[in-house]
Amino acid sequence: MELSEFLTKFKEQYVDSDSITLSEDDDFRNIESYDSLTGMAILIMIKDNFNIEISEEDYKKLHTVKELYNYIQNKK
Amino acid sequence: MKALINAISYYLPNKVLTNKDISEEFPEWSVDKISTKVGINARHIADKDETAGDMAFKAAEKLFEEYNITKDKIDYLILCTQSPDYFLPTTACILQDKLGLSKKIGAFDFNMGCSGYIYGLGIAKGLIISEQAKNILLLTAETYSKYINKEDKSNKTIFGDGASATLISSTNLPFGLNFEIMNFCYGTDGSKFDSLIVKNGAHRHPIFDGKTQYDENGDYKYNDNNLYMDGKAIFNFTAFQVPPLIKETLEKNNLKIEDIDIFIFHQANKFMLETVRKRCEIPAEKFFIDIEDVGNTVSNTIPIAMYKAMIQKKYMPGKILLSGFGVGLSMAAVILKS
Repeated sequence: MELSEFLTKFKEQYVDSDSITLSEDDDFRNIESYDSLTGMAILIMIKDNFNIEISEEDYKKLHTVKELYNYIQNKK
Repeated sequence: MKALINAISYYLPNKVLTNKDISEEFPEWSVDKISTKVGINARHIADKDETAGDMAFKAAEKLFEEYNITKDKIDYLILCTQSPDYFLPTTACILQDKLGLSKKIGAFDFNMGCSGYIYGLGIAKGLIISEQAKNILLLTAETYSKYINKEDKSNKTIFGDGASATLISSTNLPFGLNFEIMNFCYGTDGSKFDSLIVKNGAHRHPIFDGKTQYDENGDYKYNDNNLYMDGKAIFNFTAFQVPPLIKETLEKNNLKIEDIDIFIFHQANKFMLETVRKRCEIPAEKFFIDIEDVGNTVSNTIPIAMYKAMIQKKYMPGKILLSGFGVGLSMAAVILKS
């Protein structure tokens, strides 16, 4: 999966996905509607698409969509 | 021989914990934002001296009154609870006497949570089909609020107390619901037992020596004396294990999603329900969500939701799929047919 497609799928996990702007280098936790439930939805999306489980500890260290994408690529 | 759900009723304690109450207690906690997502605005909380047994009693009395059921008809009593009045005896024995039921009945408690109502229906059906009983009173009652730490704002936002009563019989009840209980499917993953747990106080860890743990922001994390929930683990279990369970249940009953008129799942929270609904590919209009004024009442959510859908909204569907999932970890599903 390309980064752009990953970004689209990532954005879909926010409850207000239609009205937010999120780029690959933004801190995804800075979006107003982000909370732990959004985080759970993101981790499920990653498990669905890449069959990778990310630990709480690792997830906390990742701040942008690009960082998360690269992390997944290295894990594959 | 058939087993039928004839009647359902429920009881909620008088005390209400609103979002306003929570935000006054925790001004830094964005309760409105969270509650919009979880779909809960108020929860009922049992009084200090009000137990699951007391609430189960009230739910049963309400059921008898609403459906004009004579007490001597009941020949078996089952109570599902994880917050019993005593370690022993079983609360159901106390309720036999308190409710004035016959001394010739069987009565017992079983310890299950979010999947408990479906288990109760499964046991009741087994007792009827094997001709051990004809009219079973299935009660569910829970006071999780007594397990929740006073600083634990997230669990306070989600859980509420309550009790329900269901009459399951071998014959129809005039003016009753009369839903036939069809085939069941179950699932268990005990490897995640500690992701929703009250650790201290029973015999594995008898001493209440828990110390409150805080995260790096100074927010409450857990205390082993209290209820702990690893929301992520429960969310994962539900998101990945429930959709295959629903598929299996439909297959076992020779039905397809489009044959079901309404899906009533354990009302855990709106966000989780929406996630699981989409993953099961259930159309939104067939999926019942109503937890705004009750919260997650554990084993009570399914009977409360059924009451709200069928009795308050007078919606009598032909086929219903019920499913409960959570603490254990445990899940179960069944189909009802009118």
